[in-house]
Amino acid sequence: MIRFDEVSKHYDTHTALRKVTFSIEKGEMVFITGPSGSGKSTLLKLIYMAERPDEGNISVSEWDTNTVRESQIPLLRRNIGVVFQDFRLLGNRDIFENVALSLRIRGVEEKELKARVFEALKSVNLRHKTENYPDTLSGGEQQRVAIARAIVSDPMIILADEPTGNVDPDASTGIIRTFKDINAKGATIVIATHNRELFRNTGRRVLKLDFGNYAGEELG
Amino acid sequence: MALYSFKLAGLSLLREKWINLLSIITLGAGLLITAVTLLSVYNVNIATKKLPEKFSVMLYLRDNLPKEDVEGIITGAKKEYAVEKIKYIPKDEALKELRDTLKDTAYVLEGLGENPLPDSIEIRLKSETVSPETVRKLSDHLKKINGVDEIVYGEKFLSSIYSLRFGVETVGIILVIIMSVGMLFVCYTTVKILFYRREKEIETYKLLGATKSFIRAPFFIEGALIGLSGGLLSLAGVLTLYYLIILKLSVAFPIFHAIVFPVRLSFCLPLAGLSIGITGAAIAIGRIRY
Repeated sequence: MIRFDEVSKHYDTHTALRKVTFSIEKGEMVFITGPSGSGKSTLLKLIYMAERPDEGNISVSEWDTNTVRESQIPLLRRNIGVVFQDFRLLGNRDIFENVALSLRIRGVEEKELKARVFEALKSVNLRHKTENYPDTLSGGEQQRVAIARAIVSDPMIILADEPTGNVDPDASTGIIRTFKDINAKGATIVIATHNRELFRNTGRRVLKLDFGNYAGEELG
Repeated sequence: MALYSFKLAGLSLLREKWINLLSIITLGAGLLITAVTLLSVYNVNIATKKLPEKFSVMLYLRDNLPKEDVEGIITGAKKEYAVEKIKYIPKDEALKELRDTLKDTAYVLEGLGENPLPDSIEIRLKSETVSPETVRKLSDHLKKINGVDEIVYGEKFLSSIYSLRFGVETVGIILVIIMSVGMLFVCYTTVKILFYRREKEIETYKLLGATKSFIRAPFFIEGALIGLSGGLLSLAGVLTLYYLIILKLSVAFPIFHAIVFPVRLSFCLPLAGLSIGITGAAIAIGRIRY
């Protein structure tokens, strides 16, 4: 489903990733870990092609960074649900509209859209806050809205960048449980986190990054 | 999806109401100036187009010209392309006409021994041929005919009218071009500003898989709505001005009664606004890299 082949990514002053090679199979739930600045976020951005590799090749499902056309990138992204580290919620839309945006972009009919948005918000326990605006929610609640927006379109792949960064341990467990449920339905899940507690005893693959270098994998 | 684009455009119009209102007013003012200019050109054209119907060239003939020579002159003049109608006026008839024209002051003609007026030929021209250039050429040509003593056609008046028409048209065209470019720039800048103010939002759309058309559509709609509103505003302005002139000014200056308001301007102004809005938005969105 996702394959990195000798991928390097350089920025002006530093190298974010250096000749990273790994693959993730369809239906897997995988953790990417490493200290802050180790390249986790860059790796996720490379998957949804917000960044392009300077060397090497990345393939995501049928798309390949060496051959993909600019016009095909929206289609790739519609197959990926992303939980951004900074949430990227729109401050001038209520929670319902923030989650619905994913479906509006895909042209989903209004009736189906409503049902799916309410279902997604219910799965993150925010069904009662549909009319709230993001700035009236706590950090943890905003994170859960971002998760609802990522899962509402039933994407093939879900990428989550530090999805429990702003929530308490109990809520973290709930979020991981949500991801496991989605994974059980067949979605491939990639979670970037520096919190080792999150993948301890999950039995899932953990890919380790060490300041841009791939440092092998272990079982959580 | 189209409905959602309209919703986004509507929301943005409300959210950024001041910048949008300013653009609509600027566009409305620009279109109002353009409309007044076009109205002036249109009315000057109508006025000058009516002139050829009353315009004639007078050929004054030499005294005691034989009938055959007069007929020869008429036949020669008839061959000219620009000539529509020819009327021979014998000197006696000319004097009678003069008496009729003078009416109560006709006594000034008393005491004249011999009729001082010459025989003449009045030539009416085809409307489309009346211009200083063609009339001058025709005059030069007719002057060469034996028996024609003098030709009179109000050369200076004709030139003045055509210079005025040419001047108004030229100034009008230049003004319309300058105003159009200015209004396009207003729409272009407005849409560009609106785009940059929503840059973060657009970035999120992109990351969620929005296509370029999904992102662009609300801006086109916004440009179109700004343009259309500006067009309607200018129409309201020009109608108000027109009725003010007709109702108020024409009482003091009856000449203003002659001003004509073409009905098609009512459709053209909103359409022009719409086109300017869409074009400005298209240029702005086309030039932005995202």
